[in-house]
Amino acid sequence: MKHQTKAVIAFRKVCKAKGTGLSHYILMAGKEK
Amino acid sequence: MKQISNFNTKASSRGAHFNTGNGPAMLPIDIGHKTYLGLMDPDAAFWSLVAKGSLDEALASGGAFMKKFLRCRSKFLAEMDTLRSGLTPSAVYFNPTDRCNLNCSYCYIPETMRKDGASMTPRQLVEALGILGEHFARTLLKGTKPQIVFHGAEPMVAREAVFAGIVRFEKDFQFGVQTNGTLLDDDAIEFLTSRGIGIGLSLDAHVDRIATRTRRRWDGSSVYDSVVAVMRKLRNYPNFNVIATVTRENMRYLSALVDFFHEQGVAVCMLNPVRCTRQGARDVRPADHEIARYYLRALDRTYEQFQETGHKLVVANFANVLVSIMAPSARRLMCDISPCGGGRCFFAVSASGDLFPCSEFVGVEEFRGGNLFTGSIEAALLSEPFKTVTSRRVEDIDPCKRCAIRHFCGAPCPAEAHEMNGGMDQPGAFCGLYEEQVRYALRAIANGRQDAYLWDGWDKGTETLINISSL
Repeated sequence: MKHQTKAVIAFRKVCKAKGTGLSHYILMAGKEK
Repeated sequence: MKQISNFNTKASSRGAHFNTGNGPAMLPIDIGHKTYLGLMDPDAAFWSLVAKGSLDEALASGGAFMKKFLRCRSKFLAEMDTLRSGLTPSAVYFNPTDRCNLNCSYCYIPETMRKDGASMTPRQLVEALGILGEHFARTLLKGTKPQIVFHGAEPMVAREAVFAGIVRFEKDFQFGVQTNGTLLDDDAIEFLTSRGIGIGLSLDAHVDRIATRTRRRWDGSSVYDSVVAVMRKLRNYPNFNVIATVTRENMRYLSALVDFFHEQGVAVCMLNPVRCTRQGARDVRPADHEIARYYLRALDRTYEQFQETGHKLVVANFANVLVSIMAPSARRLMCDISPCGGGRCFFAVSASGDLFPCSEFVGVEEFRGGNLFTGSIEAALLSEPFKTVTSRRVEDIDPCKRCAIRHFCGAPCPAEAHEMNGGMDQPGAFCGLYEEQVRYALRAIANGRQDAYLWDGWDKGTETLINISSL
């Protein structure tokens, strides 16, 4: 897909923060049983 | 009350211009892209990519870009304030034993502990989980399931205790295990996978001779074959990932490693630069410009793999940086933000029940905040050792306080900063790597390629607060 040049790219998404991890372990794509 | 904006009403400036008076900072940075520059408000963790030649328009006082940005800035600042100081611990890194059957060169747990340290009995572990459950019942919203990640050292050395805890509390916690994999026999794999428990393995290279340079048994022998065998058994298990610790010993082979992971059907991995908390790790620490070169090439390789095969290998630590840019509150990992997650999003429990802000501090006595069995968790969270970590902010560190990308990096990690560089007011080990990693992330966004690096559904539950595509 051809990527068109825009004058500016800027976006931000927001949600409730739920960050819990540290770099020693990641639960990312897992499905909770 | 915390001041969210640094607008000083005693100064007569109305904040009508970028970069002077009460106006927000909007710093241009070269991101190494042929078309775009980065333009950042560091305090709000706001980024934009402006076409070269349009910088004057973007910076125009009262221009369209400024108006759109200023309409949302207070929300950006409030979001960052909540993310950085408004969260409650909801996860525990739980070491059921201080011991390990391996002697990896860069381990953050002292050798004496790994050889002869404490191990919990099943009764003690069940008691500890009970205490943690009561704590979270008091502190978390009803219906929130806290996470317990069995960690170490090697948690499977205390397998009987770990499994007893899981059986007793499987409805109360979301469990995970980070393991070297060598003690995962078929029964253990069945036990964990039948309960949907997250399993993290550690493997540093695609071939034995490189992997064994850093990860090996006490007698120096290799564990490569046994770890790869477990990887193959977990191939189709969704709650599975592999962590590689990147050092001088394996950095040249990162592209080959991601190819190997991809072939083995690994969906999520981490390529973590070695945490330089202890001397053994510092002995294999790579130079930033070198690790950056190989690490970014490996990221390129994951993009190519996705284009070639349609299957993604997510490098989770990079994906987290990318998400922290596009949607700060959607981040999963809390290492590359300040204050980090240690002591405020999660905390660590050693095999003696000692409480630390993070696993990296286990064995560093001055950061012990208390004991689970003999004291209160609440008191530990408010203790001076915990506060030194939970109050560590980039605004108090050089050069971070002036850095345009300070909230996409966070100056990790406080344990490194304290042990390697002499204090909490110092940066961590890989400032230069973060400079390159964030620029790579911004280039990926500029090229519209960011989704290739992210886990599916990464933005589920988010809403778009701002989207600017013209000046």
